[in-house]
Amino acid sequence: MLNYIKEKLQAMHCDAYEITEKKVTGWEFYFIRHKLDQNRVKEETTITVSVYRSLEDGKFLGKATGEIFPTASREEVDKTLEDLYYQASLIKNPYYTLTDKPLPETEKIVEVDVDKIAEDFVTLMKEIPETEDKFLNSYEIFVNRVEQYMINSNGIEYRCTYPQSMLEYVVNARNGEHEIELYRIGDSGSCDKEGLKKEIMRTMNFGVDRLKAVPTPKMESIPVLLSTDVATLVYEYLGAQTNVGLKYMRVSEWEIGKPISEELRGDKVSIKVLRNLPNSSKNFDVDAEGSYIQERYLIRDGVVESYNGARQFSQYLGLEDNSIIYNAQVSGGTRSAEELRSGDYLEVVEFSDFSVDEMGGDIAGEIRLGYLHKDGVTTIVTGGSVAGNMEDALKDMTFSKETTQYDRYVIPEVTCLKNLRITGVV
Amino acid sequence: MKAPFSTYLNDQTPFFREIVSDLSSFYEYVSLLATDSVGFRLSLSQRRKIVSGSNMTTERGVVVRVSRYGLYSEFAFNAPEDICPRDSVQGDVTAYAKAVSAKIRENLEAQLRLLARTKSEIYETGVLADEPLELFVEKETERLPEKEDMSALIDYCNGLSTRGMECIEGALDVIVNGSSTHINKLFLTKNRFLRQSYVYTECSMASYARNEEGEVKTIYLGKSGCKGPETFSELDECVDELAKIMKDTLKAGKIVPGEYEIITSPEVTGLIAHEAFGHGVEMDMFVKKRALGAEYLDKRIGSDLVTMHEGALCDNSVTAYAFDDEGVLAGDVTEIENGILRTGICDALAAVRLGVQPTGNGKRENYGHKVYTRMTNTIFDSGSSTKEEMIASVKDGYLLEGMESGMEDPKHWGIQCIVARGYEIKDGKLTGNVVAPVVMTGYVPDLLGNVSMISNDRCVYGNGGCGKGHKEWVKVADGGPYLKTKARLG
Repeated sequence: MLNYIKEKLQAMHCDAYEITEKKVTGWEFYFIRHKLDQNRVKEETTITVSVYRSLEDGKFLGKATGEIFPTASREEVDKTLEDLYYQASLIKNPYYTLTDKPLPETEKIVEVDVDKIAEDFVTLMKEIPETEDKFLNSYEIFVNRVEQYMINSNGIEYRCTYPQSMLEYVVNARNGEHEIELYRIGDSGSCDKEGLKKEIMRTMNFGVDRLKAVPTPKMESIPVLLSTDVATLVYEYLGAQTNVGLKYMRVSEWEIGKPISEELRGDKVSIKVLRNLPNSSKNFDVDAEGSYIQERYLIRDGVVESYNGARQFSQYLGLEDNSIIYNAQVSGGTRSAEELRSGDYLEVVEFSDFSVDEMGGDIAGEIRLGYLHKDGVTTIVTGGSVAGNMEDALKDMTFSKETTQYDRYVIPEVTCLKNLRITGVV
Repeated sequence: MKAPFSTYLNDQTPFFREIVSDLSSFYEYVSLLATDSVGFRLSLSQRRKIVSGSNMTTERGVVVRVSRYGLYSEFAFNAPEDICPRDSVQGDVTAYAKAVSAKIRENLEAQLRLLARTKSEIYETGVLADEPLELFVEKETERLPEKEDMSALIDYCNGLSTRGMECIEGALDVIVNGSSTHINKLFLTKNRFLRQSYVYTECSMASYARNEEGEVKTIYLGKSGCKGPETFSELDECVDELAKIMKDTLKAGKIVPGEYEIITSPEVTGLIAHEAFGHGVEMDMFVKKRALGAEYLDKRIGSDLVTMHEGALCDNSVTAYAFDDEGVLAGDVTEIENGILRTGICDALAAVRLGVQPTGNGKRENYGHKVYTRMTNTIFDSGSSTKEEMIASVKDGYLLEGMESGMEDPKHWGIQCIVARGYEIKDGKLTGNVVAPVVMTGYVPDLLGNVSMISNDRCVYGNGGCGKGHKEWVKVADGGPYLKTKARLG
């Protein structure tokens, strides 16, 4: 199929093309308590083609992307490619080029045993210590072997295989008739049994605490500590501001060589792009456009050092060598987690849904479980919400020396945000 | 015109029938769902232009469900050649189907060995009903996405973006997004043969600008329905409204956190319907004992004024299918009747487990994903008040408009909605003061128990996707009239 598509594209004399084939073998297991609800196998092939056309003497580059179904007939493939060729003539973006930089390696093949990884997950979940008062309500295990192959008309060719897993689980805690639940979902490469066990046990303990929670009181602004995976959203916001797409769209005003805020009073953040990170769900050396991923700082000591993102917008900003981020490391701050956990603060460990808007920086989340430390007294709270904006929060943001990993990111264990509004219940 | 059913699926039907027939020798229940949905996606702005021949719901693939000894298993695939090369099998379509079936069994057996090694118990479930049924539905549409004049459509959308830039003060860009899909699905068991073909389209206009503090504010309006790409023409009326909304948003301040009287616009009403009583009564959550709703059947959970319907038959929206992904016919259930919770919605497997009838709400993200109980149209019924009467009745509160996001909490009936804007009301009048964004939180029975007025109109919205937890994205629609109630805003 791929050869036929390639030959057809060459015969059409399109100015450039990209073809990506992704094959996924997936094993899935769904449990209610520890009883198997359903098991599933997935064998899926996705072929994506992008057709490019130079328009108006090279002033514009048109692009149209589509999927070729693996079961498509020759006539269907021809029709799809002809449609894409035509549609590319209707899309006028300023001209740019596809990558032609030779890759240091053309493949990265990792042995992936979905059976073994899935068994590790199933075994892990059965080994979690449970009691009548705290237990696993249900869990879903997804393990994929992904094989990805991409070529473009400039001779770039890259093949890789990698494991990609996901675990979703719900924890219940019970006190007589009163029962609560906590929900977690996380991606990873394979099964880090020790790390996951620790995380699940921690979540169970949060569940027990939630049973004791009282409504969040009304209060003036108080530092908010984030010490779970939701903190990645704070750092993703920072990464997004260095994205060439948001730069070109005039959303981000951050500039290389300038600090991320004129009023930085807290810790000075550093974010480094990593090509690989152990157990990340996206461990490959080449990005989706065929560019070799350069390890570099996006932000160093609070100052923007480089941009990231798609080739199209990189070229519009005059950058030739760039790549998309998959894995990143945020350096630790100046104080320990213990030092950050001093004085008055609200540590929120469970939100209904915590969001940080990458465009506008708005922060919002309903508190499902928090620990309010005030005047030397700790109160377990629930209800109410946290709201604010990253522009304000950034000025006094501090974070711990200690770091931890959530899938594709290494971030500080504890992140402290100030200048947020807390809506209490009573 | 009628949306014509997929030629590919018709051609493959003998092959699919042979797979079902062969597997039926080994399993107590076998079903096959095959999909062939085509469409496009557009995103056109002053700064960036994208066209794609695929979108969230375009797909072609097959999922086979089998059951034996109380265990349900599935095998999903889209390239039979990859699992069993055609030229490796001599003979006709029957021989090839047998070979593919053997591969399906082989893969599922490998998983059973893992389950045996880990001593995993099975959640034993009865056999699904399989009464004889045939259905062939081709719904009406004005235009088909696969035959759309893309040149004219792209010109039109580029023109809208340009017009938006002229009208919307301070706009850094105006983006016209949209997708249109021609859905084709075939469902087969020993006794059932169902086929459906329909088109749905969703499109929107969005813009962003910087306020005086330098913060970027984004606004958005959408149109959608069970209809073809002609839906894009409805965006014409959005330009002036977006200009007004942007003015309001750029001058918006921050709300003083507290409990207020609120009037929710139909879009926000829909968000409440979705988050509060959509997810809250998905009955696969009853099986897992994850939903408080199970304990409240036939009990009061809202004021007398509150009635809510759910079902693919409730509205001609983006999710107005004829049968669901388990071959159950579309329904229309009354979830809440005059404040009393009457029933939930249920997929076929959960229905067997709970001993109830399925409601036609078994949906998959696509052929590659599992079925869950999912919403279709979730809609509050209209009342008898006018919007003006409702505003006049508020002493100190907000009219809430525009939705950004929401999150369910079926176990505890908490609700979180991020609302785009709040218009201040004092002593029965809109003051002109605007706050944005607004985090609305509360306890569902309180929120619905305090509903004191409902408007006599209603709107249904079907843009975007709905996840279960943080995954499994499907198309849903929700809406209703204006509601007056009380909530915490922050």
